[in-house]
Amino acid sequence: MKCLEGLHLHQRPGKFCGDLMPKEEEEKDQVAKEDLDPDLGPDPDEEENDLGHPSVLDATHYTQVPWQERSLFSSPGVKTPGVLGMSPASLHFPWQPTFPSTSAPPQHFELQQPLLDPALLCNPLTSWPSRLSHLTQLHPQHRRILQKQQQQQQQQQQTPSPLAKKTWFQQLDPYANLMTRKEKDWVIKVQMVQLQSENPHLNDYYYQKYYQKLEKKADEELLGQKNRVQSPKLVTPYIQKAETYESVVRIEGSLGQVAVSTCFSPRRAIDAVSHGTQEQDPAAVSSQKLWVLCRIEKMFLQLLEIEEGQKDGIPQSCYSEQQNNQVEKLFQALKTEEKNKLEEAADSFLQVLSVKKGKTLVARLLPFLLPDQAVSLLLVITHHLPLLVRRDVTDQALHMLFKPLGKCISHLTFHELLQGLQGLMLLPPGSSERPVSVVLQNQFGISLLYALLSHGEQLVSLDSSLKEPNRDHTAWTDMVVLIAWEIARMPTAALAEPLDFPNNLLPLFCHHLDKQLVQQLEARSN
Amino acid sequence: MGTYIFVLSIQPVFFFPAYQEKHLVLLRDGRTLIGFLRSIDQFANLVLHQTVERIHVGKKYGDIPRGIFVVRGENVVLLGEIDLEKESDTPLQQVSIEEILEEQRVEQQTKLEAEKLKVQALKDRGLSIPRADTLDEY
Repeated sequence: MKCLEGLHLHQRPGKFCGDLMPKEEEEKDQVAKEDLDPDLGPDPDEEENDLGHPSVLDATHYTQVPWQERSLFSSPGVKTPGVLGMSPASLHFPWQPTFPSTSAPPQHFELQQPLLDPALLCNPLTSWPSRLSHLTQLHPQHRRILQKQQQQQQQQQQTPSPLAKKTWFQQLDPYANLMTRKEKDWVIKVQMVQLQSENPHLNDYYYQKYYQKLEKKADEELLGQKNRVQSPKLVTPYIQKAETYESVVRIEGSLGQVAVSTCFSPRRAIDAVSHGTQEQDPAAVSSQKLWVLCRIEKMFLQLLEIEEGQKDGIPQSCYSEQQNNQVEKLFQALKTEEKNKLEEAADSFLQVLSVKKGKTLVARLLPFLLPDQAVSLLLVITHHLPLLVRRDVTDQALHMLFKPLGKCISHLTFHELLQGLQGLMLLPPGSSERPVSVVLQNQFGISLLYALLSHGEQLVSLDSSLKEPNRDHTAWTDMVVLIAWEIARMPTAALAEPLDFPNNLLPLFCHHLDKQLVQQLEARSN
Repeated sequence: MGTYIFVLSIQPVFFFPAYQEKHLVLLRDGRTLIGFLRSIDQFANLVLHQTVERIHVGKKYGDIPRGIFVVRGENVVLLGEIDLEKESDTPLQQVSIEEILEEQRVEQQTKLEAEKLKVQALKDRGLSIPRADTLDEY
């Protein structure tokens, strides 16, 4: 291939200007005229010796010249003497072509003047957005970027810079527009059609997120310049959903998937998200654990739907009607309030929380819930904190609940708070250890406890009515003292490091306790 | 999914300015081709003109001129335009073809030896990982 290439350049300096002859024919000519061995294909290894002609040897020698210089590839090193209209005979090759005596094939073509001109170069670009807008499904930001680029290129073309990257013989490229505009548009159309989808945020996640990011950046830059103009958001028009088919047929009791494949969609080997309907009642399932896991999976799918329904990753206070319904449904599923016994409901919730995925589910759901819903969950968690802590020993995943719970603690009323914490203080029958001691040894437990205490202190300091000596206040004081005592009692090593140490805790303890205890606590908190 | 990546990362329309831009194609077997894209179809079958196969080893690279390539679309990993201004702005060093082929051979050798050692170590522990010939490994 290399040697033959050299041959071409060698003998046809005018090739670059207006040569419309297909390359294959040239090669055939070459081969025929030169009586080369037909087996000598484009073999880069067999070079000089096989062609046997001195000038051909020269050609191959010339091919050793760095590729950039000899080819159509523009290189900054090559001088670009001028613009269109230059005589092709004085092409700036680094060598003087010499014609071999034996085989100068007849020049089938004339050295033509270049037909292209800059105006023609501009045209396809300008008309693109209007022509293809109905076909393309580009993100508005993407479209804007492309338009900007177009404008820049137009400007460049109109004012040709001396350092124009396009060398003159690029503009004379005979193979340019080998594909007609119609053909190009057709290919683009076919590709774009495949990109249409009902749910671009799902199917084309990375593209959408990337252009959202760019949009945000662009908006931020504009922030200083003009009043924040909301860039038009992407509104996907309704697209006729392509005919889908169920590739997975589920047979009862089968282990795998029976999959049907057509030429449009090949067999689906694995389902990342199982779409098959699995009706399983808890009785039928052999293991309780399996049932819990199944429930978690279903609820997680609901959660993902909810999360996708809102933009920008921040739960907004104004939800759509549909979203509210979804959240409500999910909350019901979580609490299983259809069950008559409250205990059972709490129990199923705790089972969900015993699984790591259940914890992530709750953690991600909490921002969406209404305050009283969140508070009810928080109370259940607080009440059963020792149990949860014990069950979390393997996972160590409770900390992910801390932040969302921390946010909903601020919605707790004093009474609720008191009730929640008092549960921790009760001595269980037959044990001298309060549940709170287990809690103190766990990071999440102690952090939650501190957060609750801090909130209680805040409430007390804000609401003067609570300061009066009534039942609630004494209960609060007693509890604080008890907790402080427990903290002091616990060996420092066993005390867990809290995730967040609220500022008003030490003053709280100071309030209610004697100096000695406070000093001990101070030592503990450092 | 492969189609998405192909189209969206490259702004298809700007493949076709009236002046030709150099393109870089990465194939599934790891080869890098650089040439002028003359024709393309909906399967991403490509016709590349005055193609050069660029071999990269470490910080060096070498170009082997290849001529015209017709690439079957399924073997294309990605395809992009080369910014001619930035093309010379590379920290890589171009070397001759012989040198780069030699470097490549050495690199392949070391890789094979490392692989052999790994396989031996696994065998000693009673494990065997079958060679996945169907993967795009390079």
